[in-house]
Amino acid sequence: GVALLPAPQNLTVLSTNMKHLLMWSPVAQPRETVSYSVEYQGEYESLYTSHLWIPSSRCSPTDSLECDVTDDITATVPYNFRVRAMLGSQTSAWSTLEPPFNRNSTVLIPPRMVVTEYGLHLVIKLEDLGPLFEFLVFYWRKEPDATEHFKVVKSGDSPLHLGTMEPGATYCVKAQARVNAIGRHSAFSQTRCVKMQGESLPLA
Amino acid sequence: LRRCLSSVDVHRIEQSFWDIRRALQTKDTFKNITILSSLKNLDSIKPVDVCCVTRHLLTFYRDRVFKDHQETSHEVKRKISKIANLFLQMQRTLEQCVHSQCGCSQEATNATRIVQDNYNQLEVSSAALKSLGELDIFLAWIGKNHRETSAA
Repeated sequence: GVALLPAPQNLTVLSTNMKHLLMWSPVAQPRETVSYSVEYQGEYESLYTSHLWIPSSRCSPTDSLECDVTDDITATVPYNFRVRAMLGSQTSAWSTLEPPFNRNSTVLIPPRMVVTEYGLHLVIKLEDLGPLFEFLVFYWRKEPDATEHFKVVKSGDSPLHLGTMEPGATYCVKAQARVNAIGRHSAFSQTRCVKMQGESLPLA
Repeated sequence: LRRCLSSVDVHRIEQSFWDIRRALQTKDTFKNITILSSLKNLDSIKPVDVCCVTRHLLTFYRDRVFKDHQETSHEVKRKISKIANLFLQMQRTLEQCVHSQCGCSQEATNATRIVQDNYNQLEVSSAALKSLGELDIFLAWIGKNHRETSAA
């Protein structure tokens, strides 16, 4: 089809916690539904088979103004994306994302966690962020010069039993998310403190 | 040789490969020929040669196999792209990890030359298809040799 349609503009990627969303501005066509097609190439393709563009697994085509490209990006290398508009037999030129996107730029948000005491057992439940994530959990007894303990929680291993604690004592917990595939971690979550049931043991 | 390659990357490559293995191997019409044959008898390869053979074979896939293979299925294209880009990432990790400790003995050089020779025996698209179908041999070899070398 002859390229009469204007090409989509303002391509950008919003990436949070290794979820990558490609977005663009709409191509306005009064009383018409414009659809779009998304293609990508990893660094390998751009270096060694630059003619090769691969249709995105979710958005070729799509009526939306955004495309979840998370499944298309599986290596920590730069990825090129391009989008074009389609209306009937008309297709626009391609618009290409500039600069290319690398998942190591994703924004890592401190993990949500729930800390619960079951009798004398301290249990932490962390949100499931997917197989690329693990969590660093730090916990300590709330007292002067307390010793800080530390556990690595693999994806899918939550909830986790942190330990059997002293009755009546208060324990605090904080956590951060880590993605080894990009060698980065999030800031710490807020610290959560929990008082264990029972009476504090009298000092000997 | 310190542990260089991430087992997570190798595992993810294996996952992508297993998704397309049947599609690739079904189209391979030269069943009685193998390209990565030399890898099977490399079980005795010395740890000092593991880096050289790994680097040469990553380059072989990068510069020949992925380039020469013509794929029509978009789904298979996506999986091959995943593998090719993870190989690219692995190669960089390897280069940064080993710096200059990646020498090649004659034995290692011969092994990778056999692979190239086998490849050249076939018509290009058949050779590329067969090499893709034999990725499991290379991945198993990487998994075995890089795990052992980390304990060496």
